[in-house]
Amino acid sequence: MSTEHLTRDPELQDPDSPAADKVTMAGRARRFGALHQAERTLRSMRAYGTVILFSSVSQPIMYILAMGLGLGVLVGEGGDFAEYGASSYLMYIAPAILASTVAMAAGIEFTFPVMEGFKWRRLYYGAQASPLSPGQIASGHILAVSVRFGVHAAIFTGVLYLFGAISSPLGVLMIASAMLGGLAIGLPIMAYVSTLRDEKGQMSLIQRFVIMPLFLFSGTFYPLTNLPGFLQVLGWFSPIWHANELGRVLAFGHPTPAWLILVHVLYLLGITILAWLATVRVFTRRLGLEEWRGRTPGAKADARRQERLAVKDASDVARSVPGETSSAATPVRSELPRISFRRGFGANYYSGNIRAVFGRGLTAIRNNRGVIFLSGLLEPVLFLTSFGLGISPMIAGVDAEQVGLSGGGTISYAAFIAPALLAVSAMNGAIFDSTWNVFFKLKITKLYRTMMSTSLGPVDVAVGEICLALFRGGLYALGFLGVLLVGGLVDPLAAVLMWCTALFVALGFASIGMAVTSFMTRFQQMDWMMMVLMPMFLFSATLFPISVYPAGVQAFIQALPLWHAVELMRDIAFWDFSGLTLVHISYYLVMIVAGLALTTYRMKKLFLR
Amino acid sequence: MPVEHAIRATGLTKRYGDFTAVDGIDFTVNRGESFGLLGPNGAGKSTTMRMIAAVASRSAGTMSVAGLDPEQNGPEVRARLGVIPQQDNLDEELSVRENIIMYGRYFGLPRRWLNAKTEELLEFAQLTHKATARVEDLSGGMKRRLTIARALVNEPEILLLDEPTTGLDPQARHILWDRLFRLRESGTTLVLTTHHMDEAEQLCERLIVVDQGRIMAEGSPAGLIRDHSTREVLELRFGLDRNQEQAQQLTTLLSSAPAPSNGRASSSGSASGVGFSHVEVLPDRLLVYAGSAESALEQIHAAGLRPMTSLVRRSSLEDVFLRLTGRTLVD
Ligand SMILES: Nc1ncnc2c1ncn2[C@@H]1O[C@H](COP(=O)(O)OP(=O)(O)O)[C@@H](O)[C@H]1O
Ligand SMILES: [Mg+2]
Repeated sequence: MSTEHLTRDPELQDPDSPAADKVTMAGRARRFGALHQAERTLRSMRAYGTVILFSSVSQPIMYILAMGLGLGVLVGEGGDFAEYGASSYLMYIAPAILASTVAMAAGIEFTFPVMEGFKWRRLYYGAQASPLSPGQIASGHILAVSVRFGVHAAIFTGVLYLFGAISSPLGVLMIASAMLGGLAIGLPIMAYVSTLRDEKGQMSLIQRFVIMPLFLFSGTFYPLTNLPGFLQVLGWFSPIWHANELGRVLAFGHPTPAWLILVHVLYLLGITILAWLATVRVFTRRLGLEEWRGRTPGAKADARRQERLAVKDASDVARSVPGETSSAATPVRSELPRISFRRGFGANYYSGNIRAVFGRGLTAIRNNRGVIFLSGLLEPVLFLTSFGLGISPMIAGVDAEQVGLSGGGTISYAAFIAPALLAVSAMNGAIFDSTWNVFFKLKITKLYRTMMSTSLGPVDVAVGEICLALFRGGLYALGFLGVLLVGGLVDPLAAVLMWCTALFVALGFASIGMAVTSFMTRFQQMDWMMMVLMPMFLFSATLFPISVYPAGVQAFIQALPLWHAVELMRDIAFWDFSGLTLVHISYYLVMIVAGLALTTYRMKKLFLR
Repeated sequence: MPVEHAIRATGLTKRYGDFTAVDGIDFTVNRGESFGLLGPNGAGKSTTMRMIAAVASRSAGTMSVAGLDPEQNGPEVRARLGVIPQQDNLDEELSVRENIIMYGRYFGLPRRWLNAKTEELLEFAQLTHKATARVEDLSGGMKRRLTIARALVNEPEILLLDEPTTGLDPQARHILWDRLFRLRESGTTLVLTTHHMDEAEQLCERLIVVDQGRIMAEGSPAGLIRDHSTREVLELRFGLDRNQEQAQQLTTLLSSAPAPSNGRASSSGSASGVGFSHVEVLPDRLLVYAGSAESALEQIHAAGLRPMTSLVRRSSLEDVFLRLTGRTLVD
C-alpha cells in the first residue's frame, strides 16, 4: 500500500479521458503549458490542502499570541516602537512574521518537491512525455507555489486585520510583498536544487546555512540596527529583510525614504526574475537532454555510463576466467562464528545487535560530507546570537521571580534563553533525525527492509537509529555548551549536567518522533509535524516567561513536552531545584517508554505484514 | 535435530484485504535441492518468498524453515537464510566492500572474520576490481552479483532468489547463472522464482508452476514437459486475420493423420507418425503440438497450405504453462 501512492499521478494515469480529448488537450497544453502544469501541481497539493489552510489560519494567531503578546510584555508595550510608526510591538512584528512564514514555506516548497520531481518520483519526466516544454514544467511549479503563497498570505493578512495588528488599508498589498519575498528566497534555491542528481543532505544544508541565517538576521523580531554592523550587512542581502521592511511600510507606514522603498522592490523583483530564468534554463538543460524511456526513464548519460560499465565488466570477468578454474572461487564453508539471535522472550523482536545498526550509521556519516554533520552545531548558536544580541537591547533584564526561579533579582536575557535554546536544539535535532531521516530510510532508500532481511529484529533497528540520533545530538549539545561556557553563560558543573539532560530530552523526542514517522506515507505529512513543533517552540517559555498568560493557557503549555525540557534545563543552569524538577524528569521517562513501545509495535507491523 | 526438508509449507495463504495473493499452496523443498517457483507477474511468487523469509505474516497455513516457524523465530530463521530480493536493495551510502561487511555485521559476525570473508565473496562475485567503488557506479549485472555476494556472507543453508536475472542483458545473465551453478554444486539449497522458462530449465531440479496464487503443476522441468506437452512444437504464422480459421483446418487435417495410440513419446522415432495433440491460437501465431513437428509440417505442405513462416522447436516450460492456464507466461 505504500508503493501505491508513490507511483500515483492522477493526471498521468487517467484512464477515463478518451483519446480524442487528449489531442485537443495536447494542443492546449502546448499553449498554456505552464498553467497546465501548475494545475497539476496544485491538484497534488490538494492532498495536503488542509494542512496549508490550517497553518495559514493558526500561524498568525500563534505568532500574535506568542511573540506579539508574550514577548511584547517583556519588550514593553508601545513607546519604543512609536519612532517606527507602530503603536505596539505586535504591530511592529506582524508584517515581518507574514513575510517570514512565507519565506519558510518557500524553503520547503522549492526543495523537496523539486527533488521529488527529478529523482524520487520522476514526475517531471512523466510530464515531459506530454507536450510540455521543460520551461513550462518549471514555471508551472513556480506558479502553483505562488498560488499557495497567495492563499496563505491572504488568510494570514485577514487574521492580522481581525486582531487589529494592521492599521492601514494598504496592508492588503502585503500579500504581494510577502509572495515576492517568498519567490526571491525560494527561486534561487529551486535553481540550485534542480541541478542536483542526488540528495546527500543538501536540503538540510540549505535549511541550516541559508534559510535560517537569512531569517534570523532579517529584522523580523527587532530592528536590524540592534545588531552589530557585520550582521546588519547579512540582513541587507536577505530577501526576507526587504520583504519585512516593505510589509512594514504598507502595514503602518514605517518611515522609509522613497529610494529605499524602490531598492526593496527592485531587489526582490530582480532576484525573482533572474532566478526564474535560471531555473527555466536548468530545467531545459536537464529535461531537454534526457529523453523519456518508457517505464524506466533515465539520463542518456546514465545509460551510456551503464553500458560502458557493463562492457567493461564483461571483459573483466572474461579475463578472470582462465586463471580461475583451479581456485574455483566458490565460497568455502569456513568455521562460521555465531550469528546473533536470541531464543525465548522477545526473540522475534530483538537479537542483541544494536551495535551493527549504530556502526552502519557512523560509517555512512563518515562517507558523507562532514560539513552536513557539523551544520547542526550552527543552529543554536545562530539563535542565541540573533535573539541574544537583537532583543537584549530592548529588554532590561528578566525578573527571576517572574520566571519561577527562587533566587530573586534579575538575569540577563541571554542567560535566560541560553538553557532553553539548548533544550530546543536537542528537540529539533532528535526530531529531524527521527522523522526526515527515518522516513527516508523507510520509504525512499528502504534501508530498514534490508536490515530486516538479516537476523536483526525491529528493536535492534529502532534502538540503533535512536542511539545514532543521540550521538549526533550529543555532539551538537557539546558544541553549543562550549559556546555558552566561553560566553560565561553557564558554569562547568551545570554544563556537564545540562549535556546529560540534552541527551535525555533528545531520547524522549527521538522515540516519539520515530513512532509518529512510522505512520507517515508521504513527505507532505511532515508538515503536520512542523505544525506541532512550531507552537510548542513558541509557547514553551523559551523566549519569554509563561507567566504573561492566563492560568488556562499556562496549564496547556505545561502539558507540552518542550516546556518540561526548558524548565529542567533552567533548573540546572541556575541551580534551582524543586519538586517540579522531578516532575519534569518523570514526564520524559514516560515519554521515552511510551515512544519506544509504540515504535517497536509499528516497526513489527511495517516489516512483518 | 536434523530435519530432512529445508522448507515445508502447507495451506500457505496470504490475503491483502479481500484479495488473495497466495491461495493455500503446499510444497516441500528438500535439503541441497534447487527448487523453483515459475509463474507470471502477480502470481504470488514474491509474496511466498517474503513469507519464507519471515518478513511477511501468513494469513493461514503452516510453514517450517530449517525446522523453525518464521513467524515465531524471525531472526533465527533469517540467520540461516540468504535473501536476494526482486529489487536490488544495496546501501548507496556505503562502498561495495562496506556493503558486504555491514551486512555481515547485521548478523553479528565479527569484523576480523568478515574482512577475510568479504575478499572471498568479492572474488566469487567477480567484483574485486570494484571493491572501493560506490554502489551507484556499478552496472545492473554487478549490482545483482553484489546483492548475491552480500546474501552469502552468513553462509546460508538456504538461498532465496527472487527473479535473480530479470532485467539483465543476456551476457550478465550467463555470468550470474554460472555463479548460481557453483552454489548449487557446493550444496546450498536454492529457492528461486522466475518468469523465464529458460532460467527455470537451467537452474531448477524441481519446480512448481504457480498462477493466481495456486499451484498448477509440480515436477522436474523435463517431467513437466513430458506430462503436459508434446515433444515438439511447430510454430506457424498465416497472417493476423487468418490464424483462427487455419487453426480449425489444421486440427481437422492433423487429427485424421495416421497417429500411434500414444501421441506423446512413442511417436518420436517414426517419420510417418505425427503424434498430433492440439493447436493453440496465439494473437500472432499458431502452435501445433505434435510428437514430430517435421512430419506435421510435411502433412501441412502436402495438403497445400502455405504458412508465411514456420519454425520447429522442442517443447518448453512456456508450453506447459500455456497448456495449464491458457495464457502465455510473459505478456
Ligand atoms: N503489500 C501488498 N498489498 C496489497 N497487494 C499486494 C501487496 N504485495 C503484493 N500484492 C499483490 O499480490 C499479488 C502477488 O504479488 P507478488 O507476490 O509480488 O507476485 P509475483 O512476485 O509473482 O509477481 C499481486 O497482484 C500484487 O499486486
Ligand atoms: Mg515478484
